[in-house]
Amino acid sequence: MVNSTIREILVNAEQQFGQEDAVRYKVKKNEIAAKSYTDLRADSEDFSCVLKYLGEQGNHVAIIGMTSYTWMSAYLGTVNSGSIAVPLDVSLPAAEVCELLNRADVTVFVYDEVRRDAAELVKVQCPNVKYIISMQKTAENSDDSCLGNKAEDTSKNQELSFWQLNKQHGGKCDFTPEADSLCTIMFTSGTTGKSKGVMLTHRNLAENATCLDMKLPPRTVLLSVLPIHHAYCLSMDILKGISLGSVICVNDSLIRMAKNMKLFQPDMILMVPLMIETLAKKLEDAAGLPAEAVKREVFGENLHTICSGGAYLNPVMLDLFEQYGIKILQGYGMTECAPVISTNLSWYQKKESVGQLMPNCKAKVEDGEILVQGSSVMQGYYKMPEETKEALEGGWLHTGDLGYVDEDNFIFLTGRKKNLIITKNGENVSPEEIENRLSEARLVQEVLVREAEGIIEAEIFPDYEYAKKKGLDDIRLCLQQVIDNYNQETAPHKKVYKLTVRETEFPKTPSKKIKRY
Amino acid sequence: MFEQLKDIITNYVEVEPEAIKPESRFMEDLGFTSFDFMSMLGELEDELDVEIDQQEAAGIRTVQEAVDYLSKLEQQ
Repeated sequence: MVNSTIREILVNAEQQFGQEDAVRYKVKKNEIAAKSYTDLRADSEDFSCVLKYLGEQGNHVAIIGMTSYTWMSAYLGTVNSGSIAVPLDVSLPAAEVCELLNRADVTVFVYDEVRRDAAELVKVQCPNVKYIISMQKTAENSDDSCLGNKAEDTSKNQELSFWQLNKQHGGKCDFTPEADSLCTIMFTSGTTGKSKGVMLTHRNLAENATCLDMKLPPRTVLLSVLPIHHAYCLSMDILKGISLGSVICVNDSLIRMAKNMKLFQPDMILMVPLMIETLAKKLEDAAGLPAEAVKREVFGENLHTICSGGAYLNPVMLDLFEQYGIKILQGYGMTECAPVISTNLSWYQKKESVGQLMPNCKAKVEDGEILVQGSSVMQGYYKMPEETKEALEGGWLHTGDLGYVDEDNFIFLTGRKKNLIITKNGENVSPEEIENRLSEARLVQEVLVREAEGIIEAEIFPDYEYAKKKGLDDIRLCLQQVIDNYNQETAPHKKVYKLTVRETEFPKTPSKKIKRY
Repeated sequence: MFEQLKDIITNYVEVEPEAIKPESRFMEDLGFTSFDFMSMLGELEDELDVEIDQQEAAGIRTVQEAVDYLSKLEQQ
């Protein structure tokens, strides 16, 4: 059944699956706790009421943290109250978190205690943020009692607790969001170097999650291993998982993914190519051993499907995993399309393709570039009218990917038009953003950033005259120091891991830009 | 600890054990991906019976830093 709002997804699932487990998570090393669909609806509605009580209903609420039941409750409570959720990358440096909060006009900041550093900085650098709410704090160590009966009494320097607020001010919420109202702003790297806030409506996300029948039975056990602030995880693990009445298991850390596969015994996992390639190495090492035993050891008893997205996966992986009874379904998408554009299906796939167009998507090819249109295409970029105009020409979303669509509506990719690095773990990285940062160092005269063998490389032409004047003998060491300093202040997926030092200037285009290819 | 770590490293990347030095950087010099690194830490958790914090571990760059971090955990 196609749902047009996230509230419809949650309410339908709760009516159908009530007391059944919705989310399972680890509480101790090998101990699993669970929350039901009834719990999930009630806890999220409590938070909707909290936002109303605080006078923040309809405002922007940022959520930062690892995947958790509280994160999901905060997200669902926010969007189902007609407020706008701004999910943020848990690994972002605190200063960048503050910058995004200010740019997205956030007034409420919900954070996981692992990002206490960000919460502290928000108090100083984000004048619009009125409430800072911890996901873990309890009644004993929070300042919620200070709220009294008046929301106005609260200042942002108080330590509020998500669960305490829910307990004191929660309740039933029957607000019905409009399908075409904005519900989520997700930041994605832009080619201009400044990250862009993709504006997604309820319809964008809900129809993307529910328009395709993948013939998955209810109570399918999913292990959610991708970062929850990514559109792929949010839409396909969480929203689609809820719509199907699945059991969503929380992988508490990438460090423990192998152990968690055996603990939760999932039927299906969404992954990015980097994860699949790492698992492939394990399978190759075990070649010659009985397939059944290897599968049990590596993936647990029940795994039958891996959905791959975020970046292109080499199709040879499909055959390798098939030998162990696991089907890999490669898909394709982008945050701007909430995010899935196409996917292969267990009963209908073409190995070299990134899948068949979703039922709610149309595509065409213009100058070799794939353009898409449909109910999942974003409203635009938040407060970036120029970039929005460029991306959404005549209602068609420019994907920046080169390729073609065959007679069966399967998409084949051949390259990229836009200058954007898509890493194997599905992160978009703007080379210009890194180049601009590195260029701030006086020693760097020209710099080009690109991906090489799966890692980000910077090729630098130093200012040799400056080095001479300053008596710098080991230029390479000095440049490595520039990179180390940059790496210390940036998100993990934007770190530069290889340095090449040039002796001559870069070749230039007629407009004096460095030739990229 | 260094020798133990060297053995485990060779399960994840194709590198000769003698090429692994305390100052070797996991990603730049040994060719680890971020996910290889996380998977290896998972194996080390079991081997050493310690609990590794993903955020803390993300700051580790060299083999020596990993040895120091793991030794500290073992002592706790």
